[in-house]
Amino acid sequence: MDLFFLKSAVIFYLLGSLGYLVFVLIPSRIKPLWGFMLTVAAFALHSLSILHRAIFSQYFPLTTLTDALSLFGWIVILLLLVMRHRDPSPIFGAIAAPMAAVLCGLAVAFSYRIAPPTAPVLRTWWLPMHVFLALVAYGFFALAAIAGMMYILQESFIKAKRLGPMYRLLPSLITLDDINRLAIPIGFFLHTVATVSGMLWAHRAWGAYWSWDPKEILTLVTWFLYAIVVYQRFRFGSRGRKAAIAALIGFALVIFTMIGVNLFLGGHHAGIGGTSFRGSGI
Amino acid sequence: MNGAIVIIGLNHSTASVKVRERITFPGDEQGALTKMFAALPGVDEVVILSTCNRAEIMAVTDGSIETRDRIIRRMASIHKLEASELLGYLYVYTNVEAVEHLFSVTASLDSMVLGEPQILGQVKGAYRKASDAKTTGPILNRMLHRSFFTAKRVRTETDIGASAVSVACVAIDLAKKILGDLIDKWILLVGAGEMAELAARLLSNQVRKPLTVVNRTFENACCLAAQFSGQAMEIEHLQTALAQADVVVTSTSSCEPVVRADQMQKVMKLRKNRPIFFVDIAIPRDVAVDVNDIDNVYVYNIDDLQSVAAENLEDRRGEAKKAGVIIEEEVTKFIHWVDTLESTPTIISFLDKLESIRTREISRLNGKLSHLSTEQREAIEILTKAMINKIAHEPITFLKKNSVGGKSKEYLDVTQRLFCLENCPEVENSGDKVCKP
Repeated sequence: MDLFFLKSAVIFYLLGSLGYLVFVLIPSRIKPLWGFMLTVAAFALHSLSILHRAIFSQYFPLTTLTDALSLFGWIVILLLLVMRHRDPSPIFGAIAAPMAAVLCGLAVAFSYRIAPPTAPVLRTWWLPMHVFLALVAYGFFALAAIAGMMYILQESFIKAKRLGPMYRLLPSLITLDDINRLAIPIGFFLHTVATVSGMLWAHRAWGAYWSWDPKEILTLVTWFLYAIVVYQRFRFGSRGRKAAIAALIGFALVIFTMIGVNLFLGGHHAGIGGTSFRGSGI
Repeated sequence: MNGAIVIIGLNHSTASVKVRERITFPGDEQGALTKMFAALPGVDEVVILSTCNRAEIMAVTDGSIETRDRIIRRMASIHKLEASELLGYLYVYTNVEAVEHLFSVTASLDSMVLGEPQILGQVKGAYRKASDAKTTGPILNRMLHRSFFTAKRVRTETDIGASAVSVACVAIDLAKKILGDLIDKWILLVGAGEMAELAARLLSNQVRKPLTVVNRTFENACCLAAQFSGQAMEIEHLQTALAQADVVVTSTSSCEPVVRADQMQKVMKLRKNRPIFFVDIAIPRDVAVDVNDIDNVYVYNIDDLQSVAAENLEDRRGEAKKAGVIIEEEVTKFIHWVDTLESTPTIISFLDKLESIRTREISRLNGKLSHLSTEQREAIEILTKAMINKIAHEPITFLKKNSVGGKSKEYLDVTQRLFCLENCPEVENSGDKVCKP
């Protein structure tokens, strides 16, 4: 039952993605509003699912990979809804909706590890804070990556002087670069706070700030990558295509840190299904 | 129908600029000429549409050839032409053809630049003037509103206006896709010839910042800059100017490129990689080809812009075909409505309506009337029939008496609306409040 809402949300996200896809391919046949409305419906179901999980586990629902992925998808759509006020271009939805569908789909696929944590070390407020901040940071990185992908496409159209229907649909380069300019520093800041809070919590739980498990190493790599991107922009005005590519690479690393580690590598972040008994799944 | 919808006029395909310039209906600013045409015998309703590319009189007339000729003669005399001379340029459409023509014009399918958006506003203006002058009636009111509605359908359901089809519009559209809103951007003109002046004129109403002009001959730069209250710079300071500008229009007669890649690399460092857009309208080119390869630098020359414009126009032609289907649909609906304005069908549907009300009410009471005898029931039938006949008598006499003449259509229209005869037609749902009479 507790996955019912999440599964329905996945279906609606997929329908929303389909609506957007038809709109992108044959714009005159269908209005982008269809995709948007379906996505909003999915978002509502998704919110219900998170709420339900919170009540069900009597805890902030963040302690399994399922919950983390689901919340991540939720944040992506939330950012989309906020973004819509600034630039109502439907193309953001056309990318965000399938992304949420994939994230929630993965969340459902991982659902056999659904038991809430029993380890007492995890029953503290440091954990939800750490995980929540990390996920919001990833949400901003995702936004930057979406904008980056569109930037690379739009720029290649303009440079190659082929101005087709996609060119008309995509927002201006400056808008896309602005998203990158704002989202990456915000994400970087949140990521830093999340890492520090994780360290403090680790110290309380295990007595060590840092234990060099794979997720921690990758987190550090991600942190340095974004640090370089932020520094480059403020110091040298590095922007445009380079910044867009950096946002994509950074986000690929984020996804790997988030999911790949749990599947292929071990460590105490690997969660209930992983090798460690004390894991959180994030 | 008794009357006829007539459109008499000329446009860019039937008359040269020289002729079009003469047919402007001078003195019609307050609708005086419109009133004059409406006062001609046999003419019931008039709207005059006059733009740089067309001059048309739309009228509802008694349908006779004499009335038509009267309008043409008056049109000629207003413009001090012989009617026979004018006739060579004119087209005359009646009824279905006229409706089709107006709908195509308003939807910009008949425009010189296919799909250009101004025509809708121009038709609305013409209609407003005529309706202020009280020369429109039920038919033209409805026809014009339906044409606005159709034009909006064409706009939203096809991509006819989606892409720019002139070189200047393509360039401005591109600048916006690269730089966003142009209002706070810096424009730099390199070269001060005729082309530069043209570009300055087009761009100066897009931006708020003063233009900068750089030219080999400094005096010419000053002249052009003064004209647009901008600033002039000497050619030696080109690099400084490039470091500031967002949009650069180059149009010098130099044989060598004025902007080179190595120089631009340096400029981009100074600019901290802020994007810059070059529009190179010079032949031979002023901006070296490899400048476009530098990050955040975008170069379009006149050939690029022209080929984009041509492709977009081709797209529009495809969209125009889709628009044709929409127009056909709307014309059929409108003609159907016109047909219902005949008096006999209106009277019949009026009687039908009353009869259906009568039978419905009696059948509703059937349960309560069951104890009555057959005779008593017949009496009720007779009584109710007599009542509706009495009620219908005066309106029918009135409609029959007024079935010909100026206001007949209006009476029929009102009758239909009062009694909801035509499935309660969606009354004036063009959504255009400004133009409502």
